[in-house]
Amino acid sequence: MNRNDNDDTSKASDPGQPVVTSRHKDKLPESLEKNITRRESTVIANEEAVISREKLATAREDAAHVRENAADLRERKATSREGAAHLREGNATSREGAAHLREGKATSREDAAQLREGKATSREDAAHLREGEATSREDAAHLREGKATSREDAAQLREGEATSRERRIHVVEMKQAASEDHVAMLQQANEHLVIATIEAQKLAEQVQMAKNQLDYLAHHDALTDLPNRMLLQDRLNQAIELAHRQGRQLAVMFMDLDRFKHINDSLGHSVGDQLLQSVAQRLLACVRHSDTISRQGGDEFVLLLSFIEHAEDAALSAQKMLASISQPHRVEGHDLHINVSIGISIYPDDGRDAETLIKSADTAMYHAKESGRNNYKFFEQNMNDLAVQRQSIEASLRRALERQEFVLYYQPKINLHSGVIVGVEALIRWQHPKLGLVLPTQFMSIAEDCGLILPIGRWVLREACLQARIWQQADLLPVTVAVNTSALEFRDKDFLENIRATLKDTCLEPRYLELELTESVLMRDAKSTDSVLHALADLGVKLAIDDFGTGYSSLSYLRQFPIDTLKIDQSFVNLMTSNADDATIVSAVISMGKSLNKQVIAEGVETAEQSASLLALHCDEGQGYYFCRPLEAEALATLLQTGVLLSFTD
Amino acid sequence: MENSSLLRHQIINNLMAQHTEKIADAAINLWEQMATQIISIVGEGGFNSLYARSLFLTQSTFPWLSADSTASKTGQRFAELKKSFEGQSPVQVSEANSLLLITFTDILASLIGEQLTTSILCSAWGNDASDGSGKEFKHG
Repeated sequence: MNRNDNDDTSKASDPGQPVVTSRHKDKLPESLEKNITRRESTVIANEEAVISREKLATAREDAAHVRENAADLRERKATSREGAAHLREGNATSREGAAHLREGKATSREDAAQLREGKATSREDAAHLREGEATSREDAAHLREGKATSREDAAQLREGEATSRERRIHVVEMKQAASEDHVAMLQQANEHLVIATIEAQKLAEQVQMAKNQLDYLAHHDALTDLPNRMLLQDRLNQAIELAHRQGRQLAVMFMDLDRFKHINDSLGHSVGDQLLQSVAQRLLACVRHSDTISRQGGDEFVLLLSFIEHAEDAALSAQKMLASISQPHRVEGHDLHINVSIGISIYPDDGRDAETLIKSADTAMYHAKESGRNNYKFFEQNMNDLAVQRQSIEASLRRALERQEFVLYYQPKINLHSGVIVGVEALIRWQHPKLGLVLPTQFMSIAEDCGLILPIGRWVLREACLQARIWQQADLLPVTVAVNTSALEFRDKDFLENIRATLKDTCLEPRYLELELTESVLMRDAKSTDSVLHALADLGVKLAIDDFGTGYSSLSYLRQFPIDTLKIDQSFVNLMTSNADDATIVSAVISMGKSLNKQVIAEGVETAEQSASLLALHCDEGQGYYFCRPLEAEALATLLQTGVLLSFTD
Repeated sequence: MENSSLLRHQIINNLMAQHTEKIADAAINLWEQMATQIISIVGEGGFNSLYARSLFLTQSTFPWLSADSTASKTGQRFAELKKSFEGQSPVQVSEANSLLLITFTDILASLIGEQLTTSILCSAWGNDASDGSGKEFKHG
C-alpha cells in the first residue's frame, strides 16, 4: 500500500521507478505519465472501492441507526456525525478534482497522488474504524436492547409483586370487613337477647303477680277483703295443731247479723254491701293481729282467737264486738243500726277439729238469736240436740208438701164497730206426724233458708183461693182472704203469672184476694216494686202492708204505691194501753192512713181495753185473739154463716 | 360469686359517696361512662331495655325517680333522670342512684355473669372504681 509514498531513499535506490521532479515535470516520459495515470486510475478505483465500502458502511450504519433509534434517541447524534463525515468526504472529492487540475505539475500531482493515496488509506482506515465503531455501536445497541429487555423483565417482576401485594391487601381488607360485620352482628344478637330476656322477666313477673292475685282472691272475700271460708279453715287447722302441741285453748266465734236481711231488702244490696264492709272494719278493730276474722258468706262472720287463756277471754272479745257493731253505721246518708248474735266454741272442749268447732259455734249462735239476739252464747252440748232437731225439720219439710201435711188456719178480721167479719188471714200450720201441729215460726225461717218457701207459698195461695171460692159457692158471707207474701216470692220472676193462673184456676175474683207484704219487701228496689204492685192493683188484687211501723217505709212511696190497707204491728197494739209512745204511734198511723184514704187494721188485739182504745182512735178494723183465734176452714165456715162474731151479738 | 357481688355493690356505694357536691352531675357521669361500654356490647336497644327495667324496679323504693326511656341519644338519655335528681337532697340522690346502679348491674350480672359485668364496670369507670373501693377489680 505505502510503497508509492514519497521516499527519497526508495526513489534513488529503485531505478525501475520513474523519477519525477518538479523541474522535469513538463517533460515526463509517456510511460511515466501512463504509470501515473494508471496509478491515479488505481487510486480512483481504490477511492471508488472505498466509496463503495463507505456506502456499504453507511447502509450498515443506517441499519444500526434504525436499531439505535428503537433503543435510544441519542443515536441521532451519531447519525449527525456520520453526515459530517460524508461532508468531509465530499470536500476530499473536491480536492481530488483540484488535484486533476494540478496534474500539470507531476510532483505536485504525484505528491498529491501520494497524499491522496495516503488520505485514501487514511479514509480506508477511517472507514475501517467507522465500521469498527458501527460494529461497536451495534454491539452497544444490542447491549442496550439487552439491558432494556432486562429492565422490562424487572418491571414485569415488580408488576407481578405489586399484583401479589394488592391481592394480599385485598384479602386482608376482606377479612377486616368480615370481622367488622361479625362484631356488628354479635352486638345485634346481644341486643336481641337482652331485650328478649328482659321481656321474659317481665312476663314471668306478671304471671307470678297474677298467680299471687288469684291465690289472694281464692282465699279472701271480694266484698270485705277478709279471709274467706277456705283460708279460715286452713288457719284454724294450723291453730288446732299448735294448740294441741302446746296444750292450749282456742276459741271460734260464729257471728250472724240480726235482721240484716231487712236492711238489704229495704235499702238495697248496695247499702247492704257497704254495711257489711263497715261491720268487717269494726270487727277487725276489735281483734289482735294474730287472730283471724273471716266472712263465711252473706251476713255471717267467723272469728278465730288462736290463743286464749280462759273461755272468759272469748267472752270479753264478744262483748267488745257487740258494743262496736251496735254503734250506728253511716252508709249513703243512712244511720244504720244493726246488732250481731255470737256463738262461741272452745277447743278442745267443744270440738277437736275445725269442722266441729265451727258447727258448734254456729249452733251456739242460733241459741243466741233465739235468746233475743244482740248477745253471745257459749256452746253447750244440749244445743246439739236442738240443732239436730232443726236439721230434722228441714229434711221433713221437703216431704211435707208431697204428703200434704200443711193445713191453713184462718183468723177473722173484724169491723170494730159492728163486729162483722170483713176478711180472713190465711195462716199456715204444719201437721207433723210426730211433732203435732207446728207453728210457722218454727219452720218458715228454715223453709226460707233451704228455698222451700216458694213451693210452700204457692200452695198457700192456691189453697186459700180455693177455700174462699168454696165459701162463696156455699153462699156464705163473701170475705176477702189475705195471704202473706215473702220477699222471695214477691221477687220471683213467675210471681205475677202465678197469681193470675191461681185466680183463674180457682175462679176467685181478684177483689177477694189480699196480699200482705212487709215494708222491707216493698221498699227494696222501689221501681220494680211499683211496677208489680200496679200490675196487681190493675188485676183487682188488694194490697196490704203487714207489720206496719217496724220497717223502713218511705212516705212518698206510701202515697205512690197502690196500697189499700195498713196493718199496725202488734208490738205497738200490745203496749198502746200501757205506753203512751206506742199509743201515739198507733194514733198517728191511724190518722195518716185515713188521710191517705187507706184502710187501717190493728193486729194482735188481745184485750177489750185495746179494742176500746182503737175505737177511740177511730180505727175501723181489728184482728187478734181478743176477737178470734185462727180457725180451721170448717170452723170458720160456721162463723161466716152469721158473719158476725158472737161477742158482738151478746 | 357472693364476694364478687358484694364488691360490685361496695364499689357503687363508694363511688356515690365520693361526691358530696354536684352529686347529680357525678351520678349522670357514671351512667354515661357505663352506657358507652354496655351499648358497644348489647346495642342501644339492649341498654334501654335494661335501663327501663332497672328504673321500674327502683321506683318502688324511690317513686320520684323518672326517666324517658325513649330518649336514646347520647346526652339526652339521662336528662330526665338528672331532672329527677335535681329536686332531691344529695343524700336521697346518692341512695337512689346507688340502688339504681346496683339494680342495673344485678340484672346485667344475671344475664352475662358476674365476672363479665365486673370487667365492663372496670372498663367504664377505670381508676375511679378501684380508687373508690380501695381495692382492685378481681375478675373471677
